[in-house]
Amino acid sequence: MTRRLIGFVLILVSILILPYWIYIPVLFVGIVLFPFFWEGIVLTFFINIIHNVGTNFSVSLVSPLTLAALVALIVMLPIRGSLRSYV
Amino acid sequence: MTVNYLPKNRSKYVYVKRIFFLAVIFIFVAAVFPFLDTTIIAVASPIWRTINKILGSEVPPSLMSNQTQENILLELAGRKQKTNVVVASVLTRPPQTPYDVIIIDAGLNESIVIGSEVSLPEGPILGTVSEVFPKSAKVKLFSASGDETNAILERHNVPVTLIGAGGGNFRFELPRDMIVETGDRILSSDIAARHLATVGDVSVRPTDSFKEVLAKSPINIFALRFVFVAP
Repeated sequence: MTRRLIGFVLILVSILILPYWIYIPVLFVGIVLFPFFWEGIVLTFFINIIHNVGTNFSVSLVSPLTLAALVALIVMLPIRGSLRSYV
Repeated sequence: MTVNYLPKNRSKYVYVKRIFFLAVIFIFVAAVFPFLDTTIIAVASPIWRTINKILGSEVPPSLMSNQTQENILLELAGRKQKTNVVVASVLTRPPQTPYDVIIIDAGLNESIVIGSEVSLPEGPILGTVSEVFPKSAKVKLFSASGDETNAILERHNVPVTLIGAGGGNFRFELPRDMIVETGDRILSSDIAARHLATVGDVSVRPTDSFKEVLAKSPINIFALRFVFVAP
């Protein structure tokens, strides 16, 4: 839980101060690494709100970044489920 | 001893439940976040200001009393341009943002409104204000992907429509017989005819009746520090 929180804060800080070609890959790494990282959706909307214009409800729903995060999270569900963490 | 690792007791609907939860979160955040943009920007602005201070990107006093050559020429021609420009420093710029949007540290308190023109101290026009907050504003650059801007190709005085391609780049089409070369200037279509872009590359295929012209912003948008805003 602590690692998850630290990961969330690190991604949040990187969104505020680092270039997009760092924080977007880091965000998707977080989605892959942390189990069921639904906070990733919040973070993509945060990116949209901070760095984009005209971010109303309909625009946010069809934003490529937020949709990509949602798809990645859904795809990761069965993949993580089929992975074994033991020998 | 045989051990069966198959998750027999796992619910069949565990993924469905989680996908439903994700969809709810997605729609909830999409509905709520647009109302929080003023608060989020207000919280984030001091962080960017501090970073700008550390990096030394504050507005120099010499910019405060700048009058461009264009203004003087327009004044001589009897068409006075507004001179009450606001100098603002850029808080975020590409590549910090994946879109061609910058945030400046001037907003409603400085009489900036949506649609205010944003230009460089040297003259070239950059974009327009799209969202205004009390102490900051978001500026959409003309080079934002898919954005269309009316302009004039200086070589032939031909009106063209620049289409933003992101990263300070533009593209537009011209008839293949029209001569255009690298370095040609593209000007804004208003009375001031300010520098908007410079032709960077021309590509034409033998079968096409049009040539595609790629143009770039006259300045490096990745290193923007100060801008002028005409309220």
